[in-house]
Amino acid sequence: MELVVNGVRRVVEPAAAETLATTLRERLHLTGTKVACGRGECGTCTVLLEGEPVYSCLTLTRGVADGAPVTTIEGLGSPTELHPVQRAFIDHDAVQCGFCTPGQVLAAAAFLAREGPGNDTVLDDEAIRRAMSGNLCRCGTYPRIVAAIRAAAQTMRSAHADPPRP
Amino acid sequence: MSSASEGPKRRYVATVVEVEGRDEHKIVELPDFELAAWETNEPLAIVGQPLPRVDAREKVTGRAVYTADVGHPGMLYAAFVRAAIPRGRVTELELGAARAVPGVVHVLTAEDLAELPRPPRANGVTLFSRDVSYAGQPLAAVCAETRAAAERAAEAVQVAYEPAAFAVTGDQALASGAPSVRGGAKANVSRSSPVVEARGDVEQGLREAEVIVRRTYRTPCQLHSALEPHGAVAVWEGDDLTVWESTQGVFTVRDDVAGALGMPQASVRVVMEHMGGGFGAKNHAGAHTYVAALLARRTGRAVRCVLDREGEQTDTGHRPPARIDVTLGARRDGALTAIAVRAVVAQGVSGWEASVGKIFHELYACPNVRSEETFAYVNTQAMAAFRGPGHTEGAFALERAMDELARRLGVDPLELRLRNYADRDQEKDRPYSAGSLRKCYEAGAERFGWWSRRARPNPESGSPRKSDSDPHYGKFDSDPHFRVRRGFGVAAQIWPTGGGPPAYATVRLHPDGTADVLTGTQDLGTGARTILAQVAAEALGMRFEDVRVVLGDTERTPYTGNSWGSMTTPSVAPAVRMAAEDARRHLLQAAAEILDCRPEDLVVRNGMIDKRDCSAHVRIADVTRKLGHVMIMGHGSRGPNARGVGLMTFGAHFVEVEVDVETGVVRVVRFVAAHDAGRIINPVLAESQLHGGILQGLGFALFEERVLDERLGLPLNTGLHDYKIPTMADVPRLEAFFVGDADPVANSVGARGLAEPPVIPVAPAIANAVADALGVEPEEIPLTPWRVLALSSRGA
Repeated sequence: MELVVNGVRRVVEPAAAETLATTLRERLHLTGTKVACGRGECGTCTVLLEGEPVYSCLTLTRGVADGAPVTTIEGLGSPTELHPVQRAFIDHDAVQCGFCTPGQVLAAAAFLAREGPGNDTVLDDEAIRRAMSGNLCRCGTYPRIVAAIRAAAQTMRSAHADPPRP
Repeated sequence: MSSASEGPKRRYVATVVEVEGRDEHKIVELPDFELAAWETNEPLAIVGQPLPRVDAREKVTGRAVYTADVGHPGMLYAAFVRAAIPRGRVTELELGAARAVPGVVHVLTAEDLAELPRPPRANGVTLFSRDVSYAGQPLAAVCAETRAAAERAAEAVQVAYEPAAFAVTGDQALASGAPSVRGGAKANVSRSSPVVEARGDVEQGLREAEVIVRRTYRTPCQLHSALEPHGAVAVWEGDDLTVWESTQGVFTVRDDVAGALGMPQASVRVVMEHMGGGFGAKNHAGAHTYVAALLARRTGRAVRCVLDREGEQTDTGHRPPARIDVTLGARRDGALTAIAVRAVVAQGVSGWEASVGKIFHELYACPNVRSEETFAYVNTQAMAAFRGPGHTEGAFALERAMDELARRLGVDPLELRLRNYADRDQEKDRPYSAGSLRKCYEAGAERFGWWSRRARPNPESGSPRKSDSDPHYGKFDSDPHFRVRRGFGVAAQIWPTGGGPPAYATVRLHPDGTADVLTGTQDLGTGARTILAQVAAEALGMRFEDVRVVLGDTERTPYTGNSWGSMTTPSVAPAVRMAAEDARRHLLQAAAEILDCRPEDLVVRNGMIDKRDCSAHVRIADVTRKLGHVMIMGHGSRGPNARGVGLMTFGAHFVEVEVDVETGVVRVVRFVAAHDAGRIINPVLAESQLHGGILQGLGFALFEERVLDERLGLPLNTGLHDYKIPTMADVPRLEAFFVGDADPVANSVGARGLAEPPVIPVAPAIANAVADALGVEPEEIPLTPWRVLALSSRGA
């Protein structure tokens, strides 16, 4: 079957019950997607399927619709420029061991995309916490993650209001 | 270097090092030259700056490589067969069905271990032993072409047991006629139990007391629950073995593996680049390590063995549950006259004796203190160090009892603590190297508004608040008319953590003027890699971005010990500083040759070497380029600790909670933590670590509890769905900060440890706030809704 991962068509032959996490990690060697529980309890393996966060350990590869875009942490931002969420995670030290970080970053990026960069309502911390409470972190980076997401939202909104000139 | 005129210098001396609260006697090596410690007001350019984590970019882009990300062509995957009963004997291990699963390459059993000098032990139990002493014990392992096939085959192994009587709680293990937990004539208690420590005369102290508090407290079994499971990838090249392992101690794993396999240590290389948390559970080689190494040898292929979540929660260690009986005696003015504590700790099938009682000897000035601790073996997974082992459990009991004493005396809980303030090391009767708990109390109380807490309306809502959906909803301290009650709590912490030798580092300069720091420690996510780069850059006079730190590789780096006991910074940073200072001396000697002056006429900072009279300068890179491949290298080691002082960290936590008396839900709304850990090398990273300790403590206080079926002897919550760790929604408004100064007595960089301190006072601070809100005395954590409802009905 064909899988569109980070904008690239990949041909894979997954086993019937193979999860997307396994396909990404073991067949495509995209090891940025981490597996912590393998049973949908922690959000570590979050990837974006058609822009929405899914637990890749619970998603069967054969169940991914033909041509549906999959975005992993390797596909966020560009090789030369980080996504604003990645930048903000660095600037706010929203990273300790880093194992949950790819999932956190993707969940946050999807949340901010959903909120809409053109949305000018104030993003309150409660909304961030609610959106992110499916992604566990054992090191305790949560306060930093909230701050990072708040800052990334700012960056994305001001970029939207005042797009860089070509 | 010591000159010949000084005569032969003693190179090896005996010293005492405190590890996880225990004293260890060690022979240490004296460094070649003494470094003057950086003074409190030392003008430092890079140390003390909030620089971003050097590996943050790799981590946010998914490029950081963890053990399970290591792949090799033709690699096989291993999975475990585990015991489903707590105690008994395996009578049959039927492997036929497992071997028939497509893709299975080998099933490893006890028979395969015959080739070894003796079967290795993991978590205190002989690997693949047919004697089962806890549920989850490894019985065999399967390797296959895919992980799915290995897991399917492991499930296909049929195991027949002859079950035996078991004990899974301390009470069961200590009861008369209790079954033998570990078999044979082995007692159900550790060899040194009961461990008794005493000063003064507790009986006399209790006779002098005007108020006595007696309580029994219980702390739960807490699971480390690192998101990255334990794991290893093993690859053989000829007779040499490389193991990638998620570990807090690459050298310990190397020694464990070499010993178990009967190999020279030089032939075993252990590598840990990045790891997804350890918290004390990843200090040794485990069954997974031996299985990966043995299967790789047998199959001639690389083998990856990474635990699944159930294995992680049931076979990697825990903070053992404790029952702690406390007696406090005090005079009417609050002065403590006696502290007595008796604890029973249900270790698991093995473990070391992390003292629950020690903090009772340390935290307060009291002439009469006695602790008695019994470490019982039970048929559950082994104990492993868990962030602040012993002290965290003990602090809950001590600080809860102090809170009750304050209420009985009608004294503010913080005031009571100040009246019993210890201004020197109580246990060993010596001064502290530096640091002050009083400062933590004062700064924390100030930031929290402790003394005016009752006067202040709830900052978030005003009080009482009405909600649209519930007209009776409101918040008003402990007013019984309101459904949500507000309470305030305080608790303190002390933790011995000065680090110590041995720790080594090498610094080498490249021709382009960049530098490597090589040292065998590990970065568990703590930021060690970053702060060591800061120390090296500072001491070298180089730019931060020109220094690269190489860690966690027994072949590339000189020895340092495990990253445990909050020891990494105070142990390794001084060694790194010394190596960097050594390299800088060589660099200045080379520069002096170029600038035609004496080395002592030169200063180096920010990558530039200047003559003190500003008459000439040269860039570091110009010197190293001129040297070409004449290499500047510096060597450093950690010298012994100062004698006659207590190396301690301090902290005080202040908490505000809201308790819903109808649902029993406790919400921590505000948390202020003030800590003193000596010099802070990177304030942002250090505060991040405080956050981590506080949130793990919050889990310990409110949700985290391994639940056992005592009748079956089995753990019931073996995943992250039913073993609850805090989520982002549980995070309070959190202010964590440092109040300390650099500690030039402790070591040459002036830093003490800070990984464990922040977890220690959290649970009692929260429980004390719940006590304040409900007017009851919680004796057991976690304060789950069920327990809180029982408490509040008792209070009403």
